Amino acid sequence: MGPLIGSPLVRLLLARVGQGVLVALMVGLLTFILVRALPGDMAYRIAAGRYGFDWVSTTAADAVRHDLGLDQPAPLALLAWIWDLLRFDLGQSLVTGRTVAEELSHQFGQSVLLAAWAAGLSLLIGPPLGVLAGLRPGRLVDRGLLLVAVLMRSVPPFAIGAVLILVLAVQARLLPAAGYGTPAHAVLPALTLALCLAAVSARVSRDAVMTVSGSAYYGFGRTKGLGGSLLFWRHGLRNAAVPVLTYFGVQFVALVEGMVVIETLFAWPGIGHALVHAIVARDVPMIQGAALTMGLFVVAMNTVIDVVCHLLDPRGEPS
Amino acid sequence: MTFVSLEARALRVRSRGVNPQTGQPDQLVEPVSLSLRPGHAVTLLGETGSGKSLLAQALIGALPSGLVAEGEVLVNSVQQLTRTAAQRRALWGRMIAVLPQEPWLALDPTMQAGAQVMETRWLVGGQPRPQAWQGARAALRHLEVEAAETRLPGQLSGGMAQRVAFAAAHTGDAPVLVADEPTKGLDISRRDSITALLRRHVEEGGALLTITHDPAVARALGGTVLVMREGAVQEQGAAEEVLIRPRHAFTRALLAADPEGWPRQAGGGQIGAPVLIARDVGKVRGGRRLFSGVSLHLAAGEVVGLSGPSGCGKSTFGDLCLGLLSPDSGTVERPAAAPHRWQKLYQDPPAAFPPKVTLRASLMDVVRLHGCDPAEIARLLLRLGLTEGLLDRLPSQVSGGELQRIALLRVLLLKPLFLFADEPTSRLDLLTQQETIGLLTAAAREQGCAVLLVSHDRALLDRVCDRVMTLPAAA
Repeated sequence: MGPLIGSPLVRLLLARVGQGVLVALMVGLLTFILVRALPGDMAYRIAAGRYGFDWVSTTAADAVRHDLGLDQPAPLALLAWIWDLLRFDLGQSLVTGRTVAEELSHQFGQSVLLAAWAAGLSLLIGPPLGVLAGLRPGRLVDRGLLLVAVLMRSVPPFAIGAVLILVLAVQARLLPAAGYGTPAHAVLPALTLALCLAAVSARVSRDAVMTVSGSAYYGFGRTKGLGGSLLFWRHGLRNAAVPVLTYFGVQFVALVEGMVVIETLFAWPGIGHALVHAIVARDVPMIQGAALTMGLFVVAMNTVIDVVCHLLDPRGEPS
Repeated sequence: MTFVSLEARALRVRSRGVNPQTGQPDQLVEPVSLSLRPGHAVTLLGETGSGKSLLAQALIGALPSGLVAEGEVLVNSVQQLTRTAAQRRALWGRMIAVLPQEPWLALDPTMQAGAQVMETRWLVGGQPRPQAWQGARAALRHLEVEAAETRLPGQLSGGMAQRVAFAAAHTGDAPVLVADEPTKGLDISRRDSITALLRRHVEEGGALLTITHDPAVARALGGTVLVMREGAVQEQGAAEEVLIRPRHAFTRALLAADPEGWPRQAGGGQIGAPVLIARDVGKVRGGRRLFSGVSLHLAAGEVVGLSGPSGCGKSTFGDLCLGLLSPDSGTVERPAAAPHRWQKLYQDPPAAFPPKVTLRASLMDVVRLHGCDPAEIARLLLRLGLTEGLLDRLPSQVSGGELQRIALLRVLLLKPLFLFADEPTSRLDLLTQQETIGLLTAAAREQGCAVLLVSHDRALLDRVCDRVMTLPAAA
């Protein structure tokens, strides 16, 4: 049994590792090009980050330029970054001087916490509603869900976040509007992200359940005498779960995207928040480190989803 | 509960809503009376759209929500139509077993076959798990498919899936077995093995209702036959009576449409220049030698049949003739001509047309691309018995037979030298098959087009082809 189960799984994992390496290279290259393409002199920006805006002068900027080797040719700087990366060295923040790894480790933990809450919450909201709608298509639940889902998808996450802050924090005074420290602080940002995710996963679940319940094998299960819920547990759930989970993996991209905006909105000290600050300060190693961590996070989560799908769906990859 | 009978008295089916054109509901099945009793087979014989499946669904309480059954359905003399849907469903699997169409699709693709056979005994039959497993294994062994137990449906052959579905539906608890087109798409040996299973159910004292378009199945099952057409029973009686001495003109036409009864088509038309010379060709695919040393000499206007067991490489040989593949050994010679004059007619007509484009647009694309004469379309429509109006519809809005004739029209527009027709009628009803094959061979002979016609029905090939070549089973 070992090699039988192992080989497709191992192939899948190897493919993901390769993808991770590609992501690392692409992220490094793109952030490098984009930061260089930003208007303004980097040295002045970094000097402002280091010494404060009032202390920026040509002398300070030149000192920064010299200190960081910003005057060396671009390709050389990129190669240096890749060489450091191969030794698992992300470099040092240009602003604080501390290592990027040190800076990111705390922020990354906070982001993972938020992402886990958001993903968990969205799974509790989206798929169950989708299943309810999919089992009775065209009825009230289905139509209501369609309306809410379209609404949620067409409004940007920060607007949903702002509405939640206004209603639950400012008006009802149930929850803190921003910041972190207590579990209550995580509720609003997690809920905002979860609602955006659930809007789509509910629709995907609904369609998956509809496809399954309209299938010939579901009909055969019915005429075999399996009643409503029994039929769903035996033949509905597993078959519908595969597309839902696969899509959930795709949604991690949206989750990471949303995190940048939502962490900033709720002042959540996560990696998205750090990325925005690093971009403002032109803190190139921090930008590269944050983008790299987020990219690899998406790859890692997709790998987890792949493994779960592989275990759920015994068919494996079509040969 | 012992089973005594399942009866329909003046059972009819109509639409729930009102047809805006007539102001009345559509009557889909006219009143039918029949009786299912232990040890007796009843067969509904008719073409696609004749209402035979609807009648069966009305009988077991599985009509789609837009349709209503009226009249009487009695199980052991208890009226069923006044009972709730849930009460009627309670009979499924316990009193009535339903053998699904297309077993490959009817099995859960992500559950092992054994579990799907076992769950009926466990969850519906109420047996303890170990006993249910024992029963399931015994049933699979009985049907000679023990190997299927731990396989997924995607890993089963068509014939194995058929028997697994049979074992899953037929637990021995339900005395009534309803089989809806159980032989659809099967070749003759598989068809005979499934009818043997159905017959065994009757011999063991079960009641059987079979829905089929194939008179050979009705003949093999015996019992009572009802011939249906356009929602009405045309003729009803003992199988030997109805199938041997049909009184109704429609039954006679249906029986005559069986290729066994076709008149021999006179070949020997104008045989022209050679269009294809294949010498000693062989082909290996997927590490398996499909055939070797096959030769074929084909001249314009000739119709040659190609037969052989499933998987022997008939389609591959056709692709070699068309120049879509090259042989591993031997040679294929074809006269120099534009590549579009070697054409293929596919098995499944809906798959050969873009689904969201009108048929006219599909044809006009061909006319534009190859510079054909658009007036040819009108001539061919007439020749193939089609009406102009059909062309403004989508592929899904015409019947399978009409669509296959339009596919033929599209091919003939290109004035092909050679046509490879790959099981072109295996998904059509018998009457439609007869008509389509007749038009195909006649039109090809008129145009001087050489045809290589594939069919698993040897009788059909013998009747319409100038000669028949057979490929042996692959190594």
